[in-house]
Amino acid sequence: MKHSVNRPPTPDKDDAAEGFEKDEVTLREIINVKLVESGEKENLMELVRDRLVECGWKDEMRIACREHVKKKGRKDVTVDELIRVITPKGRASVPDSVKAELLNRIQNFIVSAALCV
Amino acid sequence: MSGPDGNKSSHTELSSQVFFDLVDSVIADVASECHRVARLGLDRDLEVVEEELRFSVEARAKVADPSNNLETNTKFVVDIFGQTHPPVASEVFNCMNCGRQIVAGRFAPHLEKCMGKGRKARAKATRSTTAAAQNRNSRRSPNPRYSAYPNSVSENQLASGSPGVACEDCTVRENVKGG
Repeated sequence: MKHSVNRPPTPDKDDAAEGFEKDEVTLREIINVKLVESGEKENLMELVRDRLVECGWKDEMRIACREHVKKKGRKDVTVDELIRVITPKGRASVPDSVKAELLNRIQNFIVSAALCV
Repeated sequence: MSGPDGNKSSHTELSSQVFFDLVDSVIADVASECHRVARLGLDRDLEVVEEELRFSVEARAKVADPSNNLETNTKFVVDIFGQTHPPVASEVFNCMNCGRQIVAGRFAPHLEKCMGKGRKARAKATRSTTAAAQNRNSRRSPNPRYSAYPNSVSENQLASGSPGVACEDCTVRENVKGG
């Protein structure tokens, strides 16, 4: 008998809870793939960038980075460190209008994507 | 199928996740850009930038001054290796014609005089060498300028002992012809 016949059973059927979580992750992945394929992700990225620059959010983030660089010294800073430092602040300081606009657009996309599926 | 509310909540959560993914991408861009600026020293403290500006201005002034002096005084520029531009040929050697010591940069004009190629050189030659051939050459040449003094001398020699009025007439005629 060939070894390929004796492969272990696929683990998907084992735990229901794991399966549920996996469904969520899979759903997110599906939406992501649809976003990329349709080009909507590019549009959203551009929209987000424009809005965040307009409202001065990007400048605030850059100032925060410079502060951190001044503290730590120019040569010791890494990209990961900077990301780690400004992510919580960045996520919290997105203006509500920008967030609302983007969420609206994403939801519309998801609905239309769900309809197509 | 779940009701519209259920859909909405999961949609909301999903869209939030998507939204924050986008924001994270932008954050990563900003962080990367700031990191690059920081490491390359492009956009530093205001004070530091001003200080560096001052230093660079001073350095430029220092570099500019000596070269300006050189240019106005000596007509050439000295580069960082000490070489002059344009290069000056300063080697001294012996002329193979007259045997004198000549600076290489002045060799060509010296040769002109030395070998009789220039007009002034030729004038000297008519005086020192046999008069006849040289005189004929100089008279036939189209250049009117050296007809005055040297020709009067040569006319004297040709006539061989009939100086004075006749010669002057000749020279006048020469001048007219040449003119």
